[in-house]
Amino acid sequence: MGRFVDLTVSAVLLAGLYATMAYGLGLIYGVLRVVNLAHGGVIMAGAYMGWVLHSRAGLDPYLSIPLVVAATFGLGVVMYRVLVRRLQRGAAGGPASLLLLFGVWLVLRNAAYLLFSGNDQTIRTSYSTRALPLLGSFVSVNRLAVLAIAVVTPVLLHLLLTRTYLGRAIRAVAQNADSCTLVGIDVERIYTITFGIGSALAGLAGVLSATIFSFNPAFGSGELLKSFVVVVLGGLGSVFGAGMAALILAVVEVFAILILPSYLTAAVGFVMLVIVLVIRPGGLFGQRVLG
Amino acid sequence: MTPRPPALVPARTALLFAVAVVILAALPPVLRLSPYSHNLVTLTFLMVSGALAWNWMGGYVGQVSFGHAAMFGLGGFVAARLMLLEPAPPAPLAWLAGGLAAGIFALGAHPTLRLRGPYFSIATIGLGEAARLLFTYWEDFTGGASGLSLPIDADSKYWLYWWGLGLMAAVTAASFVIRRSTLGLQLLAIKADVEAAADVGVNATFYQDLVFALSGAVVGVTGGLYASYFSFIEPNDMFGFDRSISLVLMSVIGGVGTIFGPVLGAVVFVLLRQFLLASYPQLYLGLYGLLLIFIILFEPLGLSGLGFRLLRRFGRGQKAAAKASIA
Repeated sequence: MGRFVDLTVSAVLLAGLYATMAYGLGLIYGVLRVVNLAHGGVIMAGAYMGWVLHSRAGLDPYLSIPLVVAATFGLGVVMYRVLVRRLQRGAAGGPASLLLLFGVWLVLRNAAYLLFSGNDQTIRTSYSTRALPLLGSFVSVNRLAVLAIAVVTPVLLHLLLTRTYLGRAIRAVAQNADSCTLVGIDVERIYTITFGIGSALAGLAGVLSATIFSFNPAFGSGELLKSFVVVVLGGLGSVFGAGMAALILAVVEVFAILILPSYLTAAVGFVMLVIVLVIRPGGLFGQRVLG
Repeated sequence: MTPRPPALVPARTALLFAVAVVILAALPPVLRLSPYSHNLVTLTFLMVSGALAWNWMGGYVGQVSFGHAAMFGLGGFVAARLMLLEPAPPAPLAWLAGGLAAGIFALGAHPTLRLRGPYFSIATIGLGEAARLLFTYWEDFTGGASGLSLPIDADSKYWLYWWGLGLMAAVTAASFVIRRSTLGLQLLAIKADVEAAADVGVNATFYQDLVFALSGAVVGVTGGLYASYFSFIEPNDMFGFDRSISLVLMSVIGGVGTIFGPVLGAVVFVLLRQFLLASYPQLYLGLYGLLLIFIILFEPLGLSGLGFRLLRRFGRGQKAAAKASIA
């Protein structure tokens, strides 16, 4: 019983992180119909930014979040303006955009190797090892903080998408970009901002993972695939669906430890990805467009 | 009078092809290649075969696979296991068995073939990574993280040159014939529009299965030869994501969907890799990334596209340009 509670608690905590990773990927796909293969690279970049700010400037990783989010937003804007925008019209969703963004990911990885070497890094704070008793098991303070942020983020995202002019414009562009130009929405600007927000969310996920896991320049490939599982499982653009999907993925992964050798639990996510894609390409929670 | 359809293999092309193969076959004794160049050319033959086979799926059908390493690895390990038997079957038989296993394994990807575009690509990443983890875990078969060593002596490695050349020649000929046959047209139809292809009677499911299995089988045979070439194989390398990516890169560099692009791409890839690993190992990934970005943005058909463009500039490229436009 105790073990069951332990596993459930850690699944919930993990779910928060998975959901945060997935929002950015889902948002960009929902609006631009581009699968951002550089997503994992931006997560990795976010992790390193948090690490640099912590180790060089002594900034607490949670306090560095605004800086990292701003920087990765900028990175996303640059990626869109300089590269993605130049894809041939109609090619945006095809193999070309996949390959292009994969190229960006390789460059990001290589840049990280050059700057920080290939060694594993961690962010260690005074509270990294502290834990609170909860439901008879112990929960790391760090993981609770990550979960809290992971719960607040979708609420903010939801408010942004439903309550502001910008959010309404983003949703409108996701539904029909051509009509948007008729009513005076600058579609290119919305695309740029969306790509920025998506990258910023990836950056946020990066800092949060960096407080929990160790990372190196290759970090992010597993995260990309998990984000994809969550996006596909949750259906596009549904913030609630993404949360539920993250929970399902985390529960399946965590409980797989009971029946599978630990080495193979990493494969669970990949297998789920394929099964979900094949059986429910529209996601378990429908294909609602943003919001 | 009905116009005669063009010959499947024009006599001039066949002749050129035969001459090229003979020249390549005569290369080592005539030029007295150093062991280093001899092996490098062998490796190039293998990579050309792999890239061409990937292109059947990624280029002809337009389903970009990021998971071909699964077939490469499986072919390699099946061949390796057979060669480690006592008594061992002849090596070519082991390679063929590896290819067969890989082809059958590829059929297992059948459910993913109804996915298109990015969905298919992402699913293949998942399949490839799952295969890597499973086979690394399955130590009885792959030797786990410590891998397998093959009984390959210098003499049999020397002869790999001609086996590799033979494989490459066969795969190149197959690429040419597939593209120009009815099958090639059917694949082109599937690539352009699955539903419209079904309307004119092209069984997209069947042909995708067929091509994926064929492509997987050839990549599997390549994996077997590669195992003999390196004489030590390890699942994390054979099944690695980088291996899948290298197949994609070779085709993209040379020109996705063109007949001979992947040949060019693989040659450039192997030489560039050799040079970069020797001189600038720290820039290796990033340069491939930049190459990918530049090719996609400026010349989606890669080196072939560049070639077509040059031909056009000198006024002789009408036919070539027409070919390029359908690729």
